[in-house]
Formats: sequence, C-alpha cells, structure tokens
Amino acid sequence: MLRFIIRRIIVIIPMLFIIVSATWGLIRLAPGNFYTAEKKLAPAVEQNLREKYGLNKPWYTQYRKVLWNMARFDFGTSLKYEGQSVNQILWRALPVSAALGLSAYLLALIVGITIGTVAALRQNSWMDYGSMVIAMLGISIPNFVLGPLLVLLFGLTLFWLPPALWNGFPSKSLILPAITLSAIYIAYIARLTRSGMLEVMRSDYIRTARAKGLRERDVVIRHALRGGLLPVLSFSGPALAFLVTGTVVVERVFALPGLGNYFINACFNRDEPLIIGIVAFIAVAVLGFNLLVDIAYGFVDPRIRY
Amino acid sequence: MSRSNSGATYVLLLLAVIAAGCVVSAKSEFFGKTNPPPQNVLRYVSGSEPESLDPQIPTGQPEARICMALYSGLTEYDPKTTVPIPDLAERWEANKDSSEFTFHIRHGARFSNGDPITARDFVYTIRRGLSPELAARNASLSYYIKHGEGYNEGAVFVQDSNGQFLLQKDFAEAEDTAQAPLTAKPVNSVAEEYGAVKGEQTPDADTAFHRFMHSPDRVVLPGDEKSRNKALNANAKLKAAVAGKQLVPIKAEDVGVEAVDDYTLRITLIQPAPFFLSLMPHQFFRVVNQRTIEKFGNAWTDPQNIVTSGPFKLAAHRPYDRVVVVRDPMYWDAGAVKLDSITFFALDDNTTIMNLYKAGEIDGMLNHSVPAPWLDLIQPLKDFMDAPEAAIEFYLLNTTTGPTKDVRVRKALNMAIDKQALANWRHVKPLTALTPEGIFPGYPQPKGDQFDPQKAKRLLVEAGYKDSAGNFDSKKFPVDQVELTFNPAGANQQVAEFVQAQWKQNLGLTIPLKTMEFKTFLVAQSKLDYKGIARSGWVADYMDPFNFLWLYYTPTGNNGTGWWDQRYVDLLDEANRQTDQQKRYELIAKAEAMALEAQPVIPLTTNATRWMKKPYVKGMYPNPQTLHAWKYVYIERDPSKWDRGVPDMSH
Repeated sequence: MLRFIIRRIIVIIPMLFIIVSATWGLIRLAPGNFYTAEKKLAPAVEQNLREKYGLNKPWYTQYRKVLWNMARFDFGTSLKYEGQSVNQILWRALPVSAALGLSAYLLALIVGITIGTVAALRQNSWMDYGSMVIAMLGISIPNFVLGPLLVLLFGLTLFWLPPALWNGFPSKSLILPAITLSAIYIAYIARLTRSGMLEVMRSDYIRTARAKGLRERDVVIRHALRGGLLPVLSFSGPALAFLVTGTVVVERVFALPGLGNYFINACFNRDEPLIIGIVAFIAVAVLGFNLLVDIAYGFVDPRIRY
Repeated sequence: MSRSNSGATYVLLLLAVIAAGCVVSAKSEFFGKTNPPPQNVLRYVSGSEPESLDPQIPTGQPEARICMALYSGLTEYDPKTTVPIPDLAERWEANKDSSEFTFHIRHGARFSNGDPITARDFVYTIRRGLSPELAARNASLSYYIKHGEGYNEGAVFVQDSNGQFLLQKDFAEAEDTAQAPLTAKPVNSVAEEYGAVKGEQTPDADTAFHRFMHSPDRVVLPGDEKSRNKALNANAKLKAAVAGKQLVPIKAEDVGVEAVDDYTLRITLIQPAPFFLSLMPHQFFRVVNQRTIEKFGNAWTDPQNIVTSGPFKLAAHRPYDRVVVVRDPMYWDAGAVKLDSITFFALDDNTTIMNLYKAGEIDGMLNHSVPAPWLDLIQPLKDFMDAPEAAIEFYLLNTTTGPTKDVRVRKALNMAIDKQALANWRHVKPLTALTPEGIFPGYPQPKGDQFDPQKAKRLLVEAGYKDSAGNFDSKKFPVDQVELTFNPAGANQQVAEFVQAQWKQNLGLTIPLKTMEFKTFLVAQSKLDYKGIARSGWVADYMDPFNFLWLYYTPTGNNGTGWWDQRYVDLLDEANRQTDQQKRYELIAKAEAMALEAQPVIPLTTNATRWMKKPYVKGMYPNPQTLHAWKYVYIERDPSKWDRGVPDMSH
C-alpha cells in the first residue's frame, strides 16, 4: 500500500513537468501579450514593460524561471493584476470554488444515490422511469441554461434568493449556484448508482445475505450499497477535482470570485504566471484526488489489494 | 441524441424568453425593485476587476471609476459634460500659445493620512508615472510634457567636456523656427509669456528651472546603443559631433514639471496643447502619496497600507467581487460629499448585471450594460440612461495592399453601407466622419460620404471593375483578396453580417467574414496583416476631437490603416497652436475633412452609453464618458424628487 502511494506520487512529478511545459509553450504560441489592447502602446512603454517583467530575456531563461517557480510552488506575480502574487490569488479563490464545489457534490451524492437506489430497487416501475427521466434532463440541460432559469424563477420572479454575487460561506447566495452545478452530477451519480446496484443485487453474496434471513433494509444498506457505489467512487475522484478547482460557467453566471473565473480571464489576459499557476494547481488536484480514490477503493472493495 | 438535446434546450430557452416577457410586461415605470438601500450607500457596478488600485497603472474605464472615488487630480470631470472643472487646482493659467500651464493648488488639501497635498506631490506623481521602472502603460499621455518621453524611454543628452549640451538647432535641417512653441524660445519675463492674468496674483516667479525649460532644445538620442547608432548613421554631422562626448541620461528632474512653491505647479509642454487640461482628470494624473509608496513598494495599495487623496478612502478590496470605499473626512471638500460609502462590484457579464439591478441588489451600472436585444424592453422605462458616447466604431481599410489600396474602392465600400439602417437596428447614431457626432459643442464637424450605392458602383467602374460594355461587373471584383476581419465579441458578428449583406445587396459582392481571437486580431491590425477590412473602435482618452484624429497622426501605432499624410499632420499642429477655440476647431475640422477624402476607414456608428440607475440615485448623469464625480451623487428617499427619465443635463 505505502509503496503504491509513493510510486504514484513520484509519477506526479514528470506529469506536472509535462503539463506545465506544454501550457507554457501554448501560451507562447498564442499571439498577443498581456499588454496588447485596442489602444496601442508607445514603443518605449512596451520596452519598459518587457524589461520590467523579464520578457526581453531569451526563451530558455524565461522557461527556466517557470520551472524553478514550479519546483518551489511559487508562481511569481500576476502580470494583469499588478502587485498580486499568483499564490495569493490561488489561496483567495480556492475557498470560494471549494465551498461551491463541495456543497454541490454533497448535494449530488445525497440526491443522486437516493434516486439511483430507489430506481434500482424498483426496476421498471414508474419510479425507475421517473428517476431516469430526471437524470436524463440533468444531463441534457447545460448549466448555462439551468442557472439563468433558476435565477429567473427564484431571483427575479419570487425574489427569494439573490441572483448573483458571493456573500461568504454559508449564505443564501450559495444555494442557486450549488443546485445549478449539482444537476449534472445528480444525473450521473443516479445512473451510476442504479446500474451498480442492479448488478450487485443479482450477485451471489446478496443471495447469500438474503438466504441468511437478513432484513431487506440491511441487505441493501450494509451489503449492496458498498459494492453498488464503487462506480460512483471512481467517478468521484476527477469530478471532485474539477468541482473544487473551479467551474468556469457557473462562476461566470453567478459572478463568484472563484478559480474558474480567474482561469478564464487569465487566458483572455495572457496572464502567463497566473495561467501556469492555475493549471499546475488543477493538475495537482486531479492527480491527488485520483490517488485518494484509488486508496479509498482498497478500503471499500475487499477484492482490491495493492 | 444530440438532436433531442438541442431540442430540449430550445424549448427551455423559449420558455425562459416567454417567462421573461411575462415578468416585464407587468406595466412598470422602472425595471425591477425601487426600494432605496437602507444605508446611505451606493452600490454600483464599475466593470471588470480593476487591474490595480494604483491610479497610474490601469488603463481602463472600470478602474477610472474607482480611482475617481479614491484619488483627486488637478481638475475633475464635470458630472454632466465631463469637461475639466477645478478640483485640487482652484484655478490655472495657460501661456499665450497653450504650451505651458500654471496651476494654483488649493490650500488645506490633505491625503487620507493627513499629509498636506502640495505642488511637490504632483511633481512626484508625474515623474513617477513617467519612470521606466514603473512601466506605466499610460505614460504616453504625458509625452506632451517636456522631456517626458525622453525620460520614459531612457534617452540621453549629449554633453561636451565644458559641460555644454549639443543643441538640436545646430543639427536639424533648416526648420521654420516661427512655428516653434513659446516654450522652445527664451522668454524675457513670465508676465510677458502669460499676458494679462485675471485676479491679483500673477503667475509666478521666473526660476532657473523655468529658464532651463525655455532654453533651446537639446539633442536627444536613444538610450540603447543599437537604436542610437541607427539614428546617428542617418545624420553624419551629428555623428561626428557626438563622437567622444559624454552621454547623459535624461533624469526625472529634467521632466517639465516644477513646484514653483508649495501651491504653484508649472507644467511645460513640447507643443501647444489646449486639450492638455482635459487630460488632467485622467487617473494617470491623480495625485499619489510619495511616503507611502516608498515605504511599502508594490504593496502600497493593500487596504492596510493605502493612502489616497479623493473624496473616499478604501475600506475593503475583495478581488473579483467588490471594492468598498467610505467617505474620507480628510478630503478638502468633505462637507460636500453626500454618500457615506460606495460599493463597486467587479462584474462584466451584462445579464448578471441586469439581474442584480432588477432584483434591487445594485443601484447603478457602467455603460453598455443593457444588452442590445433587451433595448426594446428597456428603452421606454424611466430609469434607462442613454447619451451619445465619446466612442465610435469603424472598419479599418488596408491602404497598403489589395483592392483597398485604391481610394475609389475604399469610398465605394463606404458608400454602399446604409448606416442609418445599421444605427436604427443597433439603437445608436450613424457616423460618416472620423470623430463622434454630437459630443463636442461648437465643433464644425465635416460630413463624410452619404449612403449612395449608385455612386459606389460608378466608382468601382472607374477603378476598373467593369464588363466590356463599361457597366459595373461584380464578378470582376476580387472578393478573394478582401476579408472583413473582426474579433467575435459583443455585436461584432452581427454588425459584420449586416455590412456583408449590405455589400451583397448593393454591390453584389460577397465579402467573406473572418473571425480572430481578440489579441491575435490586434497584432494583425498593427502589422497591417489583414486583408482589406478590419473592425476597430476608439474610446476617448480626453474630451477633444483631436483625440480621434490623433489616430492617423503617426503612420504606425494606433493607425492600423497605412494611410498617413504630412499635410494632415501640419494642419493638426497648426490647429493646436491656436488660442481661439473656434479657430482651432475650424482647422481641426479641415484636417478631418482631408482624412475623410482619403477614406482610410469606414465610419459606422457613434456609440450610445446605455446604462441604468435607480430613480432614487441623484446627481449621476448620462455624460459622454459615463464617468461620475462621486461627491455629487446621493440617494433621494422622497419619491416625489426622483429622476423620471434622463435628469436635467443643462447647467
């Protein structure tokens, strides 16, 4: 187990190196610069800017600096937001995205597993079909449609909830974005749970459990769910990583100061240190969450041994 | 699968639109809630996240709005017209040809930490803005100040062993010295330079620095060796004279800003520039505190360190969310400031802004926040604010290659667009000239060519696109050599399609459209690396028609068309030497007419500001720049005194 974890952590290093290098290369390929704007700069002003931010150094010097920053996990200062370090921005934006992402995922787990389990246990009944229709809707309605619809209903017609803005955690302003964000995950989790449960319910050990005379509730909760939720677990790693590190669309729709919002603007602004910082951060999060999931597998599924 | 997907989406969108229709059709004077906020606080959307709260760093209007609360300048924007009105300078004089300005600073003005604000602080501010280390993108706004450009680009003077500097007049080709500004000539006395000044105080002592400013222009060479050698190789006489002499870098102390005494600031320019006053309210010239900046360096704008000079001071900054400012008791006119606090929200999504406004979570918003498709709904409401804007949209024409090299083709393309129809559809004003219409009172703006498809065809025939019978033949026109290039933001796509349809309908030409990502597009523009036509626009830096004509003042930079004419430049120079405003305007108009004759661009529309404020917000006006002097803004709780419609804009 320990050897497995160490091996996985070591693999993260070359992957990060590749991801950061590729990102850096792509940024350099994109024409324009952080100071490119409709109003052109005087040549001297441009020269001063390039000097100030070390852009007139040869590419290998700049690349070395990027790698060195990566190694220390200190990405320097933002080009767009004078005087703000990338780490400062990351640590400020992460809690917003994390609060939103975790709330949404928690909601998705509760609702999704409930719906999925009910659907599996009552296979081919109206409850099954109803649940799957809901799941289908969740998958088909993109969140940039669902979000505005919810805003229209709860924010602008009933005036129950604020239509946007961030007011800390927890607050009423988190409710609409969390629901919007969770919709698609509810759908996926419900479907995964249903198919997982259907398979498990037909398996030998469930028959054994029933044969031992256990109550149906115990059979489902203690035995079936544990196996039936394995697909949900493996889905959760990357899903959580993406949710926690920012969701561009929902953060834009609800004007939340999260990582996703920063990321998309950093790209438009050609804010190289910020882009690299966020990409590296997301990469670490994805790799880390996957590792966590693999470890969790070992505990949940007795058949898996490392 | 994907079909049913888009079907469901479509139905939902339809439902949303219907629902939106129902909600608004409930007849109301105003859009959404109109309950004034419980506290004496204005909640305002200022635009995208400010790049910095250091007034000398950011270039955009969103930052300008926040800087107007936090910092004061010599002059402030008038709330109704945005022309400069006194702020920290209580009065000022220009010399006889507007190439030098003397500002009299108000006594008793203070920074938020209690430090007095003096002329020295303005000297520091301007020198700092120009310093190469700060690398301010707005530095070129102060290139009109003597030695400003030289200091900013790290240029050098040339000094011989006796301490004498080489002078420009000894090396220039015979130049008309009569045209030199007053500041390039020695002056006997200050009183003579300025003429009779109203009030008992006359401008101010002659000083050694003043005489230095008025001494003959020194030779200025590029600081870096490569460009210097290039410059010297072009002038053999100069090269010989420079050899063996000492190169002296231009210092901050050489820049033409002088604190004559604590309350008198003198700014010497390289050319007559009557519009210089209009630049003074720009955030770049708003005064900053030297002690704070030197103590904290880059971190001086952090809320715990920042020291400001405006009617409000910083209380909190939550990036990508909000900036909160509160009334500053140290402000010289604090008694006149009506609001306790302003919350600036950093938002740039129009739908979100409109939603928040409707729900009563914000009281006002920046310009262009009302999306075009909403206008039919919003325009009749009494809290809709609209005004012609000091901003225009136009298409650049590449005058260096392809069919658009021919002025007749350029004129034909321009004449074949029905701009009135475009403007009606966009709810803006049509534009035929190079400066915005209806913004500059008294400016005799020339008219460009009107919509005339027949004449357009005749011009194309003259340009050789005709059949054997001499009639216009659209097939002869090489449409593959021309593209209408634009970045897919805002309504650019729809406007491009409209114009494309006009050319198709009126000339039978199908000009292909091409989209480019914004920054990629900007690079292509400045390199003239586009085929034929490229979308562009300009927002005024200061309120003067010269700011729009200045685009073609140099062949590179913001020009983007390749058209440049020395006679045009001479006309503008001559205009700026005039002290009589009307005479100056006439010359500027002449230059504009000359450029229109060459048609380097296709003017499209004068923008409209299009924003909203709640009726209880008073003292905020739809001015041409949508920049509001915050000290005049207040919350009116008596509904009988609310603004119903655009407030009275007369003085």
